[in-house]
Amino acid sequence: MAALGSWRLLRPSSRRWFSETVPGAPSPPASLLYPPVVASITANSKAAKSRRLQRFNQRVHAAATVEEKLRLYGKLQRPKYMVYPQTFALNADRWYRSFTKTVLVPGMPPGAAAAKRPVAAAGATPETGRDPEPRAEAPGDAEAPGAAKTPEPVAGAVPYLDVGELRSLACDALLQESFYQSKKRPFLYRDQDHTPGPFLTQLVSTLAASLSGRNPLLAASSLDLNPKVNYYWHHGEEVVVHGHRKGRVDPVRFQIDDNPHLQIRVPKQLPEVVPLESDLGDVPVIDHKPSKLPLFKKQYENKVFIGSKVADPCCYGHTQFHLLPDKLKRERFIRERLEDQIEVVYRSNGIASLFAWTAAQAMYQGFWSEADVTRPFVSQAVVTDGKYFAFFCYQLNTLALTAETIKNNPRKNICWGTDSKPLYDVVEDGNVKGFNDEVLLQLVRFLLNRPKEL
Amino acid sequence: VFAGVRQAQWLTKTKLVEGLPPAVQGIVDNPALGLQELEERVKHAVSHARLWDTAEVAPRRERYCPMLFENLIHICRSMSGKYPSLSKRMLARNCRIAATWERESILLQVRGLSGILMNSMTPIAPVASEEEILATREHVLETFYPIAPTIDLQEVNVYKELNDTGRCFRDGYPYSHPHTLFFLESANVRTDRFRPEQLRAKMLMFAFGNALARAKALHGNDPKVLEQPIVVQSIGTDGQLFQFMVFQLNTTDLVSNDGVKNLVWIDSDQNLYERAQCVPEVKKRVVTKPAGISGFQPDTFKKFLALYLHGTV
Repeated sequence: MAALGSWRLLRPSSRRWFSETVPGAPSPPASLLYPPVVASITANSKAAKSRRLQRFNQRVHAAATVEEKLRLYGKLQRPKYMVYPQTFALNADRWYRSFTKTVLVPGMPPGAAAAKRPVAAAGATPETGRDPEPRAEAPGDAEAPGAAKTPEPVAGAVPYLDVGELRSLACDALLQESFYQSKKRPFLYRDQDHTPGPFLTQLVSTLAASLSGRNPLLAASSLDLNPKVNYYWHHGEEVVVHGHRKGRVDPVRFQIDDNPHLQIRVPKQLPEVVPLESDLGDVPVIDHKPSKLPLFKKQYENKVFIGSKVADPCCYGHTQFHLLPDKLKRERFIRERLEDQIEVVYRSNGIASLFAWTAAQAMYQGFWSEADVTRPFVSQAVVTDGKYFAFFCYQLNTLALTAETIKNNPRKNICWGTDSKPLYDVVEDGNVKGFNDEVLLQLVRFLLNRPKEL
Repeated sequence: VFAGVRQAQWLTKTKLVEGLPPAVQGIVDNPALGLQELEERVKHAVSHARLWDTAEVAPRRERYCPMLFENLIHICRSMSGKYPSLSKRMLARNCRIAATWERESILLQVRGLSGILMNSMTPIAPVASEEEILATREHVLETFYPIAPTIDLQEVNVYKELNDTGRCFRDGYPYSHPHTLFFLESANVRTDRFRPEQLRAKMLMFAFGNALARAKALHGNDPKVLEQPIVVQSIGTDGQLFQFMVFQLNTTDLVSNDGVKNLVWIDSDQNLYERAQCVPEVKKRVVTKPAGISGFQPDTFKKFLALYLHGTV
């Protein structure tokens, strides 16, 4: 190298492949004398491959708009595993947790559960996650006779939650769909479209409308019916088994294409439940290939979509509602003596759908696996089959799941989930028997969730 | 239906009044509603339905027409924070309506899927005053001799005279008053969609059918003049053009051609926006039409909201 250096000084006539000209000023620092020695771009070597990967990453980092970033991110199409949130595969929720690096915490997050006390006899209700405000307690002695209507709070302007009215709204929706409206017989294996589907739509739209006075985020929200949610990501590595690319080490690609029944999108993000770096449990490690679940590969467009395009101002998610199809109904599992898999269905639906939604929301904000999220993304979901409801809350802490980025990444995504509980026992003769207020209140809590400033 | 609204008027013994009734117009002009802030939300709703809803470039009419309707209804429903009695409404989809009546010795029947029906617990107050109702006696129904009024109607042997929206809902249904009917012309192919004139006629026939069934359920089957006229509203759209209609049933005595007539107010062909451009149109390297919604008319949504709020405000 030294000899080369002096030879070059002796021969100032230009050697054309040196892009820098020899400067006339005396001895600049050695780092500027030569171009940086890096691997070649086109060679068939590991160094060249990593350099190509870095150039691609820089291209995505430098993309001007989010649409351009998404286009470059999903440009290369290769066979990928299709992950279905609603699946009959056994123990699918363990597999999905390992694919998405998610920790499952049973029960609801503590901030949501504690603060909200339902209005039973008297007392104003504090809202979820709110800073404590001077709130006048309604007088405990002025009980309303008979009906579950609560007395007016003393301070007047303090809103309280009328459980009786919400219960009657829910019962009306249920009765209309199942009893009062005369419909034709349900199509074969389409029982869910006949009654539970319309009931869920009615319930959510009326509840959201009546609670929008209380939650200004709902008043600015956007309600989608049958939206599509897609997400594409890499996790782990494998060796290509057959074909012209046999023997190469490839990332394992996944794609979720989800159809929630109903979805509420809002212009402001929900607040974080726990800090970004919290560790609430372990992610299951599964040593088998994903195809053993069973999961199957297909090659098609790599879509990332939250339900509407990037230009929509309502770009954060609030709540999704999923309806389980006939194929996954409880009686079928009981008949095949797989009772423990019933909850697995709800959990895998919650985890996969919410991961796809929150990750797609993060990508809409410009984050991706090389540029990890700087704030957690929180969304909620309700999975139901018409009668049994399960509630899920998901916090996305990291998008970095690829083989290189996961090495030094201590963050994990967190999913809180409950077991499925029935909303009512049976509908008979225009009456709803055994209505469960707990489930309704949890649903109301979900709908009232909002950022602290609002 | 051949001559459109004129034929429907003869068939239902109705007098037409252009524009919306003064009660509804009063709600539109009422500044306390805060309709200005809603403009932004309505623009977003239209953009969402027409531009942003799908991962493809442009959504098709089968998708954007119902989506626009859902978005507008969602905005209207969120007003129930201000007006709590709005929660006494329930939407019913795919309900079948059937009503029969006689018109100068021709038996007519209206049947079918009447789109989306919104029911409420309380009926709408009559929109026209007593004098206007009595004044319709002098009004002569337009006939179009030599074309028979039943042209283009399907003649069918009916074995059962089905007669009530009680067929759609069982007894004891708390939301028993039909409030508004919504018709969405969402077929992709233009020939499958109704033209505006025909859409208005269809709206009139179904509104009449619903009102008549309700009248017969309330007052029995005898033809007579109603002391409490029944009001049913109707909105039809194809995703861009809106037709608003308020129908008041004054009489069920439809056999003869004279006497008190029914009334209908129609506000037709209201554009919500001029065009929705998904991709900017570029001619010779110059952007002629930028992407987005252009020609937005907030008045159309104000009328939509006024019809929705009518009866509770």
